[in-house]
Amino acid sequence: MAETLTVDRLEAWYGDSKVLHGMDFNIRAGEVVTLLGRNGAGKTTTLKAIMGLMERRAGSIRVDGAEIIAAAPYDIARKGLALCPEERGIFSSLSVRENLLLPPALAKGGMTIAQVLDLFPNLKERLDSQGTKLSGGEQQMLALGRILHTGARILLLDEPTEGLAPVIIQQIGRTIEKLKALGFTILLVEQNVAFASGLADRHYVVELGRVVDEIPGPELDARLDTLKTYLGL
Amino acid sequence: MTMIFGVPAAVLYGQLLLGLINGSFYAMLSLGLAVIFGMMNIVNFAHGAQYMLGAMTAWLLLNFLGIGYWWSLLLAPLIVGASGLVIERFLLRRLYKLDHLYGMLLTFGLALMFQGIFTNAFGSSGQPYKIPPLLSGGSNLGFMFLPNYRAWVIVASLTVCLTTWYVIERTKLGAYLRAATENPMLVQTFGIRVPRMIMLTYGAGVALAALAGVLAAPIYQVGPTMGVDLIIVVFAVVVIGGMGSIMGSIVTGFMVGLIEGLTKAFYPELSSTIVFVLMAVVLLLRPAGLFGSKPEPAGAAHQEKLEIAGPNPRRQMIAFAAMAALFALAPLVVYPGFMMKAMLFALFACAFNLLAGYGKLVSFGHSMFLGTAGYVCGHAAKVWGFTPELAVLAGTAAAALLGVASGWLAIRRSGIYFAMVTLAFAQMIYFVALQAPFTGGEDGLQGVPRGHLFGVIDLADPVNLYGFVLAIFLGGFFLIMRLVGSPFGLVLKGLSDHEPRAQSLGLDTARYKLVAFTLSAALAGLAGSTKAITSQIVTLSDVHWSMSGEVLLMTFLGGVGTLFGPVVGAFVVVAMQNYLASLGQWVIVIHGAIFVLCVLAFRRGIVGELIAFAGRRTNRGGAPAHSGPGH
Repeated sequence: MAETLTVDRLEAWYGDSKVLHGMDFNIRAGEVVTLLGRNGAGKTTTLKAIMGLMERRAGSIRVDGAEIIAAAPYDIARKGLALCPEERGIFSSLSVRENLLLPPALAKGGMTIAQVLDLFPNLKERLDSQGTKLSGGEQQMLALGRILHTGARILLLDEPTEGLAPVIIQQIGRTIEKLKALGFTILLVEQNVAFASGLADRHYVVELGRVVDEIPGPELDARLDTLKTYLGL
Repeated sequence: MTMIFGVPAAVLYGQLLLGLINGSFYAMLSLGLAVIFGMMNIVNFAHGAQYMLGAMTAWLLLNFLGIGYWWSLLLAPLIVGASGLVIERFLLRRLYKLDHLYGMLLTFGLALMFQGIFTNAFGSSGQPYKIPPLLSGGSNLGFMFLPNYRAWVIVASLTVCLTTWYVIERTKLGAYLRAATENPMLVQTFGIRVPRMIMLTYGAGVALAALAGVLAAPIYQVGPTMGVDLIIVVFAVVVIGGMGSIMGSIVTGFMVGLIEGLTKAFYPELSSTIVFVLMAVVLLLRPAGLFGSKPEPAGAAHQEKLEIAGPNPRRQMIAFAAMAALFALAPLVVYPGFMMKAMLFALFACAFNLLAGYGKLVSFGHSMFLGTAGYVCGHAAKVWGFTPELAVLAGTAAAALLGVASGWLAIRRSGIYFAMVTLAFAQMIYFVALQAPFTGGEDGLQGVPRGHLFGVIDLADPVNLYGFVLAIFLGGFFLIMRLVGSPFGLVLKGLSDHEPRAQSLGLDTARYKLVAFTLSAALAGLAGSTKAITSQIVTLSDVHWSMSGEVLLMTFLGGVGTLFGPVVGAFVVVAMQNYLASLGQWVIVIHGAIFVLCVLAFRRGIVGELIAFAGRRTNRGGAPAHSGPGH
């Protein structure tokens, strides 16, 4: 399978402090890949840098061979990337329906709203509520659901399990499996190894703003001890 | 004749109608301010000027191109709105990562420029604009006569306000706007060009102001200054309503207009100040405004730090002694009148800087302390026969009292709201000075005697007078210098950096702010009192908002938060006034341009840039300079 997202020597800064020190990794079309690492390793920053949200970044990010390192966030979105951000980013001044419909369809092939609501039936009854009145799990589904109808093929999911109950986490996991089956390419940032292990084709371990190891999905159980050392568990 | 609570019914209805008309404009303007603020976090000080531009454009279209009212209603907002797009694209866009106050300063500069340019071109007096024939005449409602044009203004304003509300709260476009207000970065990742959206929003907000201007043209006189006083009232409206809610702005606008109308009917003496009294009451009871508002961010992080100069008491003392010697000898080469004026403004600016530079509370109303102290001092010297030192003390005490009272209310808000609140209070004091019997109204308080210092030293002697002013300036400056370096000064800097953190250390930050505010007011009053004695006249211009603008200009030009910056700034501005006096209104345009330039290019001011330059030289080889904001 062809590489669809390639990140080369990616560097990024917050003001004067450098956070990413040359991230290298790639994702092939249709894969689910995770970035695992401790707090502050640079996982979220990597997603933000890919989406063009870091003020200063260097290196190379290519989508299907096209360079996007210098592109503006709204142009990056047009390359078929979409972000489900840390802490969900639900707009409190918008209703659930408005939150869901907010991202415009930029390409063909996205789900219809009906399909999104079939995927997350909980949202159906809450369409007229204020976005942030939803429970944490429902907000997560909303954040995920709203990027599915835009036609984006590469989804960047930032800790979708954070702060959720185990039963909701399972539901999110099943959703990600469905999305993979539908052909979405998914880059997942996680601290929850148990959650990630069942889903991903490959894992990259991030430390101090670099990829320090790559673990193929099937080998994860065998190398769990190594991983735990990385993560300090 | 029917009477309602002792007021003829016709008068009451007439005033209520006037109130509704005024309310229509308050609503449209505060709505535009709210939309712009929500999206860009900028308090658009130029809003009043853009309202004026709308009216002037309509007038120009009519008089030079023969284009009438109805076309102007469409064209003027488009033209002025387009100028707004340019302003956003080339000026405001550079400020989004900075403190919100910079936006307010820059648009203040723009407002001065617009006003100055149009005054130069068309004179400051108003021009009449004819009511369109279709709307002339009126109808008798039985209980009152309603001019058609006024009815039209109310209907048009309501329609525009409610349409704007509908678009923002109920449409897809509005959803984009609301989302971008909350989290612009995230909205960008959805493929939406947020920068362009911000530009168009500013253009639309400006067009709304221009539309209000065209509507106002046939009612009020069309002139370059028509927007200035209005915008200050609108700021008060904004503080009353809170800028968080669109409907809140509309309701508050109409409500304030009606209350103003009622006051005119029942107690006309209070009518020009009632809005500010209302604001004070709201600040007391519900500081966030009637309809809540966007919480003010903690700030910090974006202020360029000037630590390099560090408090080095010895170096400070040397610089102080050098300045004292220089100013003492200056009359040998420089005109002493100029020196005295500049020193007093320097003291005024230093007092302002104590609050703005070290406490990071930027007041837009410091003229109230200068002017009030001047009036009290002048009155004490002239009518009560006080000796100069007692008169100056009386003036200073009056300013300090006013500082305690206004500060007690104003420090409930911070940042831009603090700026608007102080501006509104100063406007209230201005109206009081305009109406009060002892200020001499438009004529000012003239012929203030200089008298004998301590009953002995004759201040009519130029050498004595110069010594008196020099002593007061140096004394005031020395006090500020020691204050800034004292533990009190450190606390002040600490709480301006991060107020919650200072509170968590157990500091009663409100009290420190109030003390700083009062000290600043008293020192500004000291300058104002002394100015009354030296210039022997106190006029309305001493309490006018443009005086507050001047002290802002001096301080920011010289270097806010630096010890000597305000002094340098005051000398530059006073020199400019002296040598460029022949340019008339162009001086205002130049002032405005300096504001814009300072905000865009050198926010540290003259002295601040020098300190930073010196710091770079000594620090060479250290950490590389980087322009990005800290995180």
